[in-house]
Amino acid sequence: MVDATLAAIAQPAHTDADAAHRALRQPLAQRRYALEIRQHMGWRLQALILAAALLVGLAISAAILVAAGVPADELANEFVMQTFFDGQNFRAVLFQAAPMILVGLAGSLAFRARFWNLGLEGQMVWGAIGATAVSMWQIGPEPLRLPLMFAAAIGCGLLWVLGPAWLKIRLGVNEIISTLMLNYMAANFLLHLVYGSWKDPKDNFPYSPQFRTFERLPEIGAGVSSAIVLAAVVALFAWWLVGVSRAGLYLRFVDANPRVAHANGVPVRRTIYGAVLLSGAMAGLAGFAVASGQEGRLTQAFYQGYGFSGILIAFLARNNPLAAAMVALLVAALFVTGRSLQVFYQVPFSMVQLIQAIIVVCVAASDFFIRHRLRRVGGEQAQ
Amino acid sequence: MSGSIVLNWLASTPDFAVPYALAALGLIISERAGVLSLGAEGLMLVGALAGIGAQIALGQPAVSLVLAMLAASAVSLLFAVMVIWLRVNQVIAGLALVFFCQGLTSLVGSLAEWTNHATDGIGSMALWPLSLLPGAGRLFEQNAMVWLTLPIFLAVAWFLSRTSAGLRLRAVGENPQAADAAGIRVTLWRLGAVLAGSALVGLAGAYISVVSTKLWIAGMTGGRGWIAVGLVIFARWSPWKALVGALLFGCIEALIPQLAAAGVQLPQYFVMMTPYAVTLGVMIWVALARRGGDDEPGALGQPYVREERR
Repeated sequence: MVDATLAAIAQPAHTDADAAHRALRQPLAQRRYALEIRQHMGWRLQALILAAALLVGLAISAAILVAAGVPADELANEFVMQTFFDGQNFRAVLFQAAPMILVGLAGSLAFRARFWNLGLEGQMVWGAIGATAVSMWQIGPEPLRLPLMFAAAIGCGLLWVLGPAWLKIRLGVNEIISTLMLNYMAANFLLHLVYGSWKDPKDNFPYSPQFRTFERLPEIGAGVSSAIVLAAVVALFAWWLVGVSRAGLYLRFVDANPRVAHANGVPVRRTIYGAVLLSGAMAGLAGFAVASGQEGRLTQAFYQGYGFSGILIAFLARNNPLAAAMVALLVAALFVTGRSLQVFYQVPFSMVQLIQAIIVVCVAASDFFIRHRLRRVGGEQAQ
Repeated sequence: MSGSIVLNWLASTPDFAVPYALAALGLIISERAGVLSLGAEGLMLVGALAGIGAQIALGQPAVSLVLAMLAASAVSLLFAVMVIWLRVNQVIAGLALVFFCQGLTSLVGSLAEWTNHATDGIGSMALWPLSLLPGAGRLFEQNAMVWLTLPIFLAVAWFLSRTSAGLRLRAVGENPQAADAAGIRVTLWRLGAVLAGSALVGLAGAYISVVSTKLWIAGMTGGRGWIAVGLVIFARWSPWKALVGALLFGCIEALIPQLAAAGVQLPQYFVMMTPYAVTLGVMIWVALARRGGDDEPGALGQPYVREERR
């Protein structure tokens, strides 16, 4: 029954002209298999395919690492045991996860509005600059300093994405290019600050003076920064926003088809603006989480790699906020492992980037098997 | 005095313009066939690394440039399989390609110890009668790749607009369903366009490492691939407009060292922002000036799925 329907769906695509063209070249009997679009696949099988893709990706990455000179048994030990089962390293993963979760959420929110926000790094830079400005200029009394830095990071991240959002919605300017160009501009402005007027007068290194204790995100337990709590709260907020609230419903309409959504009275523009600006705000918070939660100052290259990680996390999590938080933990583990490999085996940090890209390629390719299937055709027809 | 600065500026412009021109031309080939190629930044890096590697090993610039083209084509095969056969979203596949190449090139570059390894590139070639002109003659002393860029542009422009093969390629990008019905093998044409386009993007990258700077540094393309993607939109997918755009960008980039040499004090990092700011400005200008006719290939960025009736 189902197969008959599928065959009926698959059939019309082979047009007469196409069939005639093929008949000239080869006997039909040779074409035993046809590709067709699957209508549905159970979630268990989908999860299985996804897991297999992840495994293939990790296996390829492991092979590359071994080729680059890391002993194979050390690799398993390093990644699985050290990262997840060692208390100190697990805390390092949590430490690293906070900005990861925030950029992942930022990416998924914008992609839900069909806006390719590739400017996560630039918005992160501006978030960190905003927070640092509050510290540098000592704005507000001490107990209010941290909330003010938080607000400044949100505001700066949001403003840096406002331009591309407006250009895209008003003028149709391609947001992929505009947000990327703004990344490079933000990065150069950051260098201008840390090599210029914001340079630490104590040792003349290219970073801002250290934040004071009350300007840093406090630890909530031994070695665990409250940045992870902040990230968890934002993840819950994002989950509520896209899953429960009216705005989330609008967002799903816009994602499915902006024109139909508009015809049904959904405020399309406002929904897109809202999602994109929130995306920028979350990326700004990620910058705040690195500056105040990790480094304790504004440094020159803290943002590198987060933009792609955010896109990867959003893509792997299918733009689902809670899934994004989980994937972000895994990517954070990859970062931590990468750092220790860098220290012990001189493997360049770009390896982490390469592994992420390989995983994305594998998962993206596995999608094909979720969406398509091969079906035997034509055996008896041909005779 | 000021006259010689202008001459120096103009004489150094082609060196900055060639990478933009070649990369944009490669992207035009691929995008005319309907494949949105966001991977340019990564493929340029592959070309740059392969070029310098071959240059260090063999010392033959011409061979290095060809090998760089082949390397970029080979890596783009991964992208082609993803978007043409596996029908992966072209934006995701392009981004993954960029980060794959960034990781791969910096890994290989550091393992092979090619970083900061200076090589001798190719010398300049004077275009004979014109180079004898007093003063302006200097403009006609450029390296061989600069002179080679013009015939490459002529050939591609002629191919795309004057040959039946070019017509087929454009048909595949404009309306793959109709092209398929007319017996054009959509997947093969798209594959060919991606491989050929990527070869030119790889050549653009190799120009930067082998001809211009004569050394390799990880991430040395510094966003030029993205600027080329923007340049293609500015050029409305036309090779000649892309050449004009590349010259414009070359002029702007060439101006910066000339101003510095003339002793003009400019804030360094703001100066380094200019190519990106100009790209953004150009994108806005294109959006404002867009007239009725839209030259964007009709099926740009859409996978061709024969099994799906649209």
